[in-house]
Amino acid sequence: MKKEVLLTVPSYFRDDMEIRMFRFGKGEKSCIIVGALRGDEIQQLYVCARLVSILRDVEKDGGLIPGKSVTIIPTAIGASMNTGTRLWGPENMDLNRRFPGDPAGSTTERIAHALLDRVSCYTYGVQLTSFYQPGSFIPHVRMMNTGRQNPELGLEFGLPYVYVREPRTADHTTLNYNWQLSGTQAYSLYAGKTTEIDENAADQTLRAIIRFLNTRGIIRSETTPGVLSSIIHTSDMTSVSASSAGLFRRVKLAGAHVRKGEQLAFIMNPLDGSVREVLRTPVTGTLFFVQDGPFITEHSVVFNILSTKK
Amino acid sequence: MSFNKEITTIAEASLPIGEQWSIRRCRLSSDTPGPRICITSGIHGDEMLGQLILYTLSRTIQEQPEFLTGTVDLYPMLNPLGLDLNDRMVPSNPRLDMNRAFPGSPDGTPLETMCWHILHDVEDADLILDIHASTNDKNELFEVRIHYPSHKDQIPKAMPLCPDVIWIYPDKPSFDSSLTGSLSRQGRDAFILEIDTRSFLPETDCDRVVSGILSKMCDLGIWHDPARIRTPAHPVPILHSGVDIARITCEHSGLYLPVHHLGETVQAGEILGHIVSAMEGTALETIFAPCRGLIFTQRACSAVYPGTLLARIQKEAAI
Repeated sequence: MKKEVLLTVPSYFRDDMEIRMFRFGKGEKSCIIVGALRGDEIQQLYVCARLVSILRDVEKDGGLIPGKSVTIIPTAIGASMNTGTRLWGPENMDLNRRFPGDPAGSTTERIAHALLDRVSCYTYGVQLTSFYQPGSFIPHVRMMNTGRQNPELGLEFGLPYVYVREPRTADHTTLNYNWQLSGTQAYSLYAGKTTEIDENAADQTLRAIIRFLNTRGIIRSETTPGVLSSIIHTSDMTSVSASSAGLFRRVKLAGAHVRKGEQLAFIMNPLDGSVREVLRTPVTGTLFFVQDGPFITEHSVVFNILSTKK
Repeated sequence: MSFNKEITTIAEASLPIGEQWSIRRCRLSSDTPGPRICITSGIHGDEMLGQLILYTLSRTIQEQPEFLTGTVDLYPMLNPLGLDLNDRMVPSNPRLDMNRAFPGSPDGTPLETMCWHILHDVEDADLILDIHASTNDKNELFEVRIHYPSHKDQIPKAMPLCPDVIWIYPDKPSFDSSLTGSLSRQGRDAFILEIDTRSFLPETDCDRVVSGILSKMCDLGIWHDPARIRTPAHPVPILHSGVDIARITCEHSGLYLPVHHLGETVQAGEILGHIVSAMEGTALETIFAPCRGLIFTQRACSAVYPGTLLARIQKEAAI
């Protein structure tokens, strides 16, 4: 294992922030895994830390394939993680909205540029990402429809779904979008939680990454076989939104199979306990995303249901 | 001639405990039909100057309604929750920049729904102005920012606003998800107005902008007070990013101590400021002007990092 510093961001009040990388193997730049880009992506950092530990053992056991290399960047925003701030504090900017970055630009643009410049020379890229709403997903691989995506390759992670999503305007400034445009086969993995550690989801994500590295011929390491994956698209999803606000009480969790008309959740008046709304599914399918915040605001998308039949 | 004032909620979402997250519009209109102008502010909750500008404009119109033909729609508080907290972002979970959430979606998150309603409420106007006031530690002269792809048509339309500079804003992906960027993509006439010199008398900045808006309203045929018609006293520089603008950044982190130059023309090599360390009691870096020109953006005394914008200079050739 070789430790490197990708970039040092000096600070006036605090210690400098170093973006650290861990490289295993020599030769072809085969795969790179990026963890936290936001200060609250604790689970993403945790998965990377465990992956570094696993690959250290793989290396000791001679499991790295000669001529291949794999690199891990656990976090690019350690300073914000130390203070519990999601954004890059000094500029109040979301790093994952600053790509492709600019080497002569602001601090976040410089970080984004340095990161993209480094990761885009790898054949495969994996970003452990979070969602902009609090909630749980069925474990899946995600990529945007940029015209360069390769969902078939995503099946090799062995997670239940490979989700090809239509990009929104704001997505054009994310790492995943720009990474794909740069020529890397880039995938996003949703590792369950964000602000807290979920051991089961972390284990599942780690197995998926190890499986992918195995099938791509980058390492040789035992892991359990994956499941048969399906490629799904935005058009396969049906959203359920709240038409009232209050305390959100789930009845069904992510991964549940639900039949049309079945109750998914209810919204409670936070002062008197009366039920303001009962949320039911308009279609039969599988709960792909479930919001899990205690409070809900009107119009919030609280469920995404993967329809079994459109 | 009668005059109407109507305050309408254009988008709302219930919050959990007895409160509506509402975006409201104040419509000032004449009985006689005419053009429509929409003026928004407060999309960033830490930019307060827009409140003063829209208050002053509204009061001016209400004091002389006989000059009005058509409709003036004012949206002072696009991000009411952020304004209440003096927070640039929308204090949702997580905090998000509203000006990176356009065009929004009718069936998206609450924020995306709000953005979609705002966009659809303003999009058939003859002109949309979105007022900004930089950030807490940055000072700006009066700028009109125009989206690059539509700039040739829009430059003449911006002149009656009489700004200090017109900046042809770069065609960056991040701009597309802003209110003005989304409107420009639809082919609408939409400008960003940026100003805040952070003087002790914010009325001075306010009067500049209100005067410019009334002049533009005269140009559109919405306001009929000949005394309000303005033409720029000097040719307004048209600035293209990367060509006419020197962007001054630093390479050290430390405390930036600016030498006051906002609105002044500096010479190449002139000192713009120093970066110092209070702990060491030493100067770390001296910042020099790389060219002669007008300082139209200047950072205030604040902590800086490598890459922090310290100043923008309108290069002399662009004058």
